Amino acid sequence: MGLLSFLILCPFAGAVLIALTPRSFNVLFRLIALLTTFLSFAAATWVFFAFHPGATHVQFEEFCPWVGALRIGWHLGVDGLNVALVFMAALVAFAAACCSWEIKERQKEFYLLLLVMTGGILGAFASLDLFFFYFFHELALVPTFIMIGVWGRGENRNYATFKMTIYLSLGALIALIGLIALYVAAGARTFDIPELTRDVAARPIAASAQHWIFPLLMFGFGILVSLWPFHTWAPLGYGAAPTPTAMLHAGVLKKFGLYGLLRIALPLLPEGAQRWLPVLALLCLGNLLYCGLVAIRQKNLNLLIGNSSVAHMGFVFLGIASLSLVGVTGAVVVMVAHGLLAALAFALSGYLQNQLGTLEMEQMGGLLRKLPFVGTLLALAMFAGCGLPGFANFAGEVMVLFGAWGGHTTVVVLAAWAALIVGAVYMLRAIRTVLHGPLPEKWSGVADAPHAWRKLPFALLLAGLLLFGCVPRLLTDRIQPAALTVVRAVNGTPAALMATTQLPR
Amino acid sequence: MTGIFPWLILFLPLLAAAGITLFALDHRAVSARLSIGAVVISFALSVALFVHGTRGETRFNWISLSDGAASWIVDIGLRLDPLSLMMLLVVTGVGSAIHIYSYGYMHDDPGVGRYFAGLSLFTFSMLGIVLATNFLMLFIFWELVGVSSWLLIGFWFERPAAADAAKKAFLTNRVGDFGFLLGIILVWAVLGTMDFGQLQKMMAANPALIGNSTIGIAGFLIFCGAAGKSAQFPLHVWLPDAMEGPTPVSALIHAATMVAAGVYMLCRVHFMLAADALEFIAWIGGITALLAALMAIQQNDIKRILAYSTLSQLGYMVMTVGLSGVGGNPSAAMFHLTTHAFFKALLFLGAGSVILALHHEQDIWKMGGLSKKMPVTFWTFMIATLALCGVPPFSGFFSKDEILATAQRTSPALFALGVAVAGLTTFYMFRLIFVAFTGPVKSQLPDHAHESPAVITLPLVALAVPSLLAGFWGIDRFYASQFGTGEAEAATGWVAQLTAPFAHAPGAAFGGLAAVVIGFLAAFALYWNKVQDPLPAMLGVVARWLRDRFYFDELYAKLIAATQDALATLADFVDRWLIAGLFVKGTHGSVELTGRLLRLVQTGNLQTYSLMFVAGVAVLLLFMLIR
Repeated sequence: MGLLSFLILCPFAGAVLIALTPRSFNVLFRLIALLTTFLSFAAATWVFFAFHPGATHVQFEEFCPWVGALRIGWHLGVDGLNVALVFMAALVAFAAACCSWEIKERQKEFYLLLLVMTGGILGAFASLDLFFFYFFHELALVPTFIMIGVWGRGENRNYATFKMTIYLSLGALIALIGLIALYVAAGARTFDIPELTRDVAARPIAASAQHWIFPLLMFGFGILVSLWPFHTWAPLGYGAAPTPTAMLHAGVLKKFGLYGLLRIALPLLPEGAQRWLPVLALLCLGNLLYCGLVAIRQKNLNLLIGNSSVAHMGFVFLGIASLSLVGVTGAVVVMVAHGLLAALAFALSGYLQNQLGTLEMEQMGGLLRKLPFVGTLLALAMFAGCGLPGFANFAGEVMVLFGAWGGHTTVVVLAAWAALIVGAVYMLRAIRTVLHGPLPEKWSGVADAPHAWRKLPFALLLAGLLLFGCVPRLLTDRIQPAALTVVRAVNGTPAALMATTQLPR
Repeated sequence: MTGIFPWLILFLPLLAAAGITLFALDHRAVSARLSIGAVVISFALSVALFVHGTRGETRFNWISLSDGAASWIVDIGLRLDPLSLMMLLVVTGVGSAIHIYSYGYMHDDPGVGRYFAGLSLFTFSMLGIVLATNFLMLFIFWELVGVSSWLLIGFWFERPAAADAAKKAFLTNRVGDFGFLLGIILVWAVLGTMDFGQLQKMMAANPALIGNSTIGIAGFLIFCGAAGKSAQFPLHVWLPDAMEGPTPVSALIHAATMVAAGVYMLCRVHFMLAADALEFIAWIGGITALLAALMAIQQNDIKRILAYSTLSQLGYMVMTVGLSGVGGNPSAAMFHLTTHAFFKALLFLGAGSVILALHHEQDIWKMGGLSKKMPVTFWTFMIATLALCGVPPFSGFFSKDEILATAQRTSPALFALGVAVAGLTTFYMFRLIFVAFTGPVKSQLPDHAHESPAVITLPLVALAVPSLLAGFWGIDRFYASQFGTGEAEAATGWVAQLTAPFAHAPGAAFGGLAAVVIGFLAAFALYWNKVQDPLPAMLGVVARWLRDRFYFDELYAKLIAATQDALATLADFVDRWLIAGLFVKGTHGSVELTGRLLRLVQTGNLQTYSLMFVAGVAVLLLFMLIR
């Protein structure tokens, strides 16, 4: 069994084990979840660092035919697009398992669902087969709904669950229609993604078909990523979700739509991409600017983080729409960085929710005095969120802005405003109201993270952000060849780094 | 062996900051030793590099993207040339004095560890700006400086004023950085590189480039960054509020070094600033210098007076950069930056000594008679004041004279403005001296005041030496060698050096001196032995305008409320009521309504079904017949 199979099957094996364990062994569920996610994390770390940067071919490839007639197979592998995502996903999954101590009821079911979700996420990102790619995503999505519905918090968690379920199912359905149309239009004989890509490159899909299939994928995948104006499920859903679920969904599962665009929509439908990506470049302002402004007005910390998470997706959309090497590479960097950041932010707000019983910012204040560790990390997460150098987000965002400048100058100007100013306004307002100022008397009993074990998930996520922020080559060297392949597939011309504005004579 | 020195200079403070944060936050002595040790070693190494005369670059790659045709390459590199070497000495030298002073000043604060971690982080970031080899690296450290400033202004974060001031400083800087980043992107988009060395070669090889309109725009945008960091009009509002931070922080960051980063950056990229941009820069600097000097004469908080004075002096420096002209020599700005770093740090540290002695009272109208109680503080403060006013032979005389001489050569209007500001400077500084240090005691506080301990007075004395003598050390000629213009042979001997300004540009030198004398006489006439400020009665409403800083803060608050906050409210409304409300809930509602209506049809009653069946047939028949 290869490493990738191992890291996908570990959580599933854990889930089976939990299912077989009697309900009274509460401690065991948590141990199994921690152990299996840790094994996945260790394997993913190995894959990430053993991955040979600079090579264009798929590495750690595994293939095992399954349904011969339809050419569906267990095909796993990593290249620049997904190697860092798999690593990030495994890291967040382990952190989410660590943060699950807040769950006190029906632990067996919760940990079981958590592991199924983890396995599904890892499978979706590591699969190179269209069937498993989609199947694993759905497998991860279903537990999300159940977890929010059963273990969620807040008065309108039922509404949030329904809204999220309908939105995401709808998005997945539209994407599915797009995928089927794509399959039919390509006259494909296989579900194998690399093979399909080669076939289509040799015999492109008719331009007229591309023009209507691409928007199906763009909006279908877009809804999954909370593309404006299909974003209102996200802040609400994350606000109602239990902490580990919010971490896994906002951090990792959400990136599936973006990954789908890069892995399937762009290389297979270059003509459609050329026509529709300018629309995406405009819509991304809805995320960046509009949702940023909405975040300014939020009074609840979780809604603020949720809106900022929606806003950050705008950078990825812009990077993809830029169709330049720098922009697409930057988009993937932002995907990884935001995954770690969203997980960290939701983990911290979950900690606060547990300590305070509320996340209404008006009631908070001066918490840094009582929570030196958690408060400091929250401040760092906020600064990472407004693009402070040293965190991975800065590297990715600045690359997106540079990469998109040639093609979408006006959008970049507004995006820079959103990144540097709107983002800073709501992040700093949050720090000011939550952490700074005098401490209300009722919070004098609030306690900081008591021991290393509780601090571990926060520290791990922060370490990831800092590592990739200080040494971004760890990411960019790995991403670059794959990003170049995508960019070339769409632009067709070999030298399409970025449309540099020419110097006027 | 010297190859590793620049890296050590840069990274030792970062190591200290990381070490303190991880292991020594609660250990006051350990954290202080780590932080002070790092900056002192950096200073020693900088001196070694300076003496050795090292020049050149060293770098490693940070991000590199290339498809063969074009590339996006960012290096983290260190560049040693006269500009950065002298600036290294200033940052680490003044920094060392202030670090040591801080140990005395912050001794009783429970957050000493956090304080020193922030101070070390700041030193690291500032050194990164000084040593940067390319635009993006500069921008990275630029942002880090911003965040360390935020940390230190908001050090007493439980005080709402401090927390608000920190936020305001960061956000105002971000407005400048918005332009700065766009300028950097534009430079890269047009010229294909962000490396200072390569850019300079390009501009030198193709002199027509400087007239290019895109590069002109880039110059304006880059200046936005400098205007934010150096608190130039209209982004000047954050600096006075930043005085909410501990006094040593005000001395190091908000007077001597960080706020000078904008001026330093302009000198670093001076080769690509076009004539239009330079003229604009000169006027912004001039306006800032004048406005701030006016505001300073009606402030009553000792630190705020000094803060407005800093603004005004920064305006001088920026004005000089602008006046130096395309391909010119802005070394006068750097010279003034250097001397200003010495005497302004000294002024703030002296003010800190006073504040400590008076148990954190900062209102000068509650002081008085301190010159006898605190002789060391008073005399060093006096030296710094004379230097700031530009009295020969103090260091400030030489640097201010060069500025006025430059202005006299190029722009009569700005020369007149510069002389007026020199007069105002003397006026408000001697107002401070007469009210706080001499004259009658104005409250009980000064009665119990006594001189500060040696850990505080020694740095004062150490900074007094360069404040007095730095004019004679040839700092200006050292800077000038950076810009490759042939300077006249320097005068030798103390007397010759002192008389040289009067011989070279008598108009500037005598004009400046006359302004100082007038300013002093006015201050003497109004404030000698006074217990109340006579100016408000004389100036009436104008005095209130000056005291309330021309209402810039109120104006900006209204402006932000009318634009960004209004947009945010609108976006929130649309999100809540239109998208999530009308569209989403509307869809939800209409589907549900349809369901409820259709349910009414399912009565289970046979007669109803047959009636509807017949009605359906009738409609179909009618449809067919009409067709």
